[in-house]
Amino acid sequence: MIFSSLTFLLYFLPIVLLLYYIVPKKMRNLVLFVASMAFYFFGEPKYIILMLLSIFFAYINAIFIEKSKKHKKLFLIISIVISLGLLVVFKYTDFIIENINMIFASNINLLRLALPIGISFYTFQVISYVIDVYNEKAKAQKNFLKFATYVSLFPQLIAGPIVRYTDIDKELENREYKVENFSQGVRRFVIGLAKKILIANVLGELITAFSNASEPSVLFYWLNGIAVTLQIYFDFSGYSDMAIGIGKMLGFSFPENFNYPYISKSITEFWRRWHITLSSWFRDYVYIPLGGNRVSKLKWLRNILIVWMLTGLWHGASWNFVIWGLLYGILLVIEKLGGLKILEKIPTFFSRIYVVLVVMLGFIIFNSTDLASIAQNLGGLIGIGNIPFANAESIFYLKDYISIILIGGIFSTPIIKNIITKIKEKNSKLVNILEPITLSVLLVLCISYLVDGSFNPFLYFRF
Amino acid sequence: MNENVKNRVVTILFIIIIFGFSIINIVVKDTEISNTERRKLKQFSDINIKDINSGKLPDEIENYLMDQFVQRDTFRSIKTFFKLNILCQKENNGFFKVENNVHNLLYPLSSKNVLNTANKINNIYDTYLDETNNIFYTIVPDKNYYLADKSEYLKLDYNKLSNMLRENIDSNIEYIDIFDTVTATSYYNTDAHWSQEYLLDTAEKIAEKMNFKDRINSEFILKDYNKFYGTYYGQLADSSIEEDTLKYYSNDIIENAKVYNYETKQETKIYDEEKFNTSMDKYEFFLSGSTPLLKITNEFANNDKTLIVFRDSFASSLVPLFTEAYNNIYLVDIRYIKSELLKDYIDFKNADVLFMYSTLVINESGSLK
Repeated sequence: MIFSSLTFLLYFLPIVLLLYYIVPKKMRNLVLFVASMAFYFFGEPKYIILMLLSIFFAYINAIFIEKSKKHKKLFLIISIVISLGLLVVFKYTDFIIENINMIFASNINLLRLALPIGISFYTFQVISYVIDVYNEKAKAQKNFLKFATYVSLFPQLIAGPIVRYTDIDKELENREYKVENFSQGVRRFVIGLAKKILIANVLGELITAFSNASEPSVLFYWLNGIAVTLQIYFDFSGYSDMAIGIGKMLGFSFPENFNYPYISKSITEFWRRWHITLSSWFRDYVYIPLGGNRVSKLKWLRNILIVWMLTGLWHGASWNFVIWGLLYGILLVIEKLGGLKILEKIPTFFSRIYVVLVVMLGFIIFNSTDLASIAQNLGGLIGIGNIPFANAESIFYLKDYISIILIGGIFSTPIIKNIITKIKEKNSKLVNILEPITLSVLLVLCISYLVDGSFNPFLYFRF
Repeated sequence: MNENVKNRVVTILFIIIIFGFSIINIVVKDTEISNTERRKLKQFSDINIKDINSGKLPDEIENYLMDQFVQRDTFRSIKTFFKLNILCQKENNGFFKVENNVHNLLYPLSSKNVLNTANKINNIYDTYLDETNNIFYTIVPDKNYYLADKSEYLKLDYNKLSNMLRENIDSNIEYIDIFDTVTATSYYNTDAHWSQEYLLDTAEKIAEKMNFKDRINSEFILKDYNKFYGTYYGQLADSSIEEDTLKYYSNDIIENAKVYNYETKQETKIYDEEKFNTSMDKYEFFLSGSTPLLKITNEFANNDKTLIVFRDSFASSLVPLFTEAYNNIYLVDIRYIKSELLKDYIDFKNADVLFMYSTLVINESGSLK
């Protein structure tokens, strides 16, 4: 089930909210656990056992890690091997086989296992939990229901943010319920829903039009690049907003995942603003344990490239994701070796253009299905293949989608947020009156788009 | 309004909207068909709980909820209004409006399908036709052809389409160009089809070229029949568009002609009022809609001539105007019957033959059998 569906919006969410708030506080974790199981079961019934197994092993191992001072490392390794093992088997086996077949000219059959939705997210949560228990940053949760509720919590189960156990351990025990929090949750949820339905999905239609185009043109390649860049941001950050919003409605405070990444002035800054919970996860559980930057330059370089290759692979079992990750690894090394100083000196406008261009090229790679289409989609931007600059088709689609592209561009920066903050400082009444109206209009518009059966893909199936 | 009040208002409005829609949708009875979209709506009973294992259940439920959403048309209109008027997008679901006339974004030209059409026509020619036949083909332009040349909308390369057919269809089959016999206003505003009201010139040109013009002597009387919304109306979901009026030409010959449907084995009339009243597609008024094989018999004909029309739905409103000229007119739709089977039903000897396909079908000719 996805949040941007009528099933979720008008049935699942109201029922869960109703049950959640009518049962005594003690029972609310149970309601959340049952709701999360139902949420997962509805879309992925086969793999619910897999998730429960992952939860169970992490639960048991964390208790053993805490109790057994002598063998705590062994239990940590067992736990990580089990969790990563499941992830590797279900996500990477075919990728590994394909490469073995390619290198050794062998003919091993692919397993063609369907990827369990959300496995990359809950695996990382489980691993961070056992490592935190091992490092004594967290206490092992003795109550299975509470732990299972944490891992399977439906708002963040299938598309993040990657919530660490230490982020919400206190809230699992006791949550504060305030109208103010609920209202903030509603605002966040509706904004996220609008980002997903009114911007990301619409741009997805443009990307589909590009892939079905009859004749290529430089303009259409650029439109595709811009659309992909904006779509991924609005889709992903929209989903995170919805997750954070639902969390707030239920009394949780999930960590922020995006902070206007497209205004960054360097790639280093970009990754502090983009998918924050993933990059901080890799920093804390891979980069620093490998030695971080407190090692020789060669090892530091190795650490960065390992982290970014893994970051790429986390997004999907395919070479385009590895290339995408390594591209960032290399750029981050260049920036750390002096590039950042140059970026600080040049006008902000140019450093931002640099970031947006790199990110766009990166997402073209990210969104390409194979190496040939990467070359084609990148080459098309500079007219390789003797293609015209523009044609009737690309001009039509430019006119068709220009408003969405502009709206996407504006809302990917904090301009509107800053304007609203300034108006609020002078006239908070006006903003307070307009806010509920705007949110209601957005919600009704989103429902209208959903009722019309608009293009509504789920981008996270491969994560 | 202070922060506390605002927070309460936001919370209450959200709860009212999601619970309100939820309850209203549960309480209000499901409907069976959508008249505007001309299709059956998904029913709760269509949902198969066993589909949970294949992963199809969420989509089935979502489709059911979309179809049965209370005031579905209103919400679809809201979306269309927002897309076309606020965001100034050019189309909705591939449909767009130019001066109150709804169009479908038909693009790009499929050379493969155009060639496929030519091959199908040649195949029928080779199989059934010889020097005893007068054989012609014509192309019915879709209404996008008449959009202004500098229109901002994409349209097919009609010249290329015509040239490809001309180059690939057997040279014994003569082309009748009817592009200049109709105009933008010859088409219904809310439907893909042309209106019979404006087809006299087209009929005359074809009759002249096929040499049967002198056999049509009766006058046609134009009759106002009824208002209707066509296929495109529901696709665009723009409630500001007005209904079309169905008008048709009649005379004693047409009124008395008998239409035999080989599929239903029933005899009907050329203009099928029952279809208009019961069918979701009001254009089925003409010759009762899509069907594999029909025969129009004009018992008052003073000849034993036969016309065989290989056609799509555009012919349904044009061919009745030829009734007087022939004793029998066969209308064959090879989207619904294999052409190999035709020998069992039609004697091709000495017949006039017209291949008549719209650019809509030519460009998507995969369905021609």
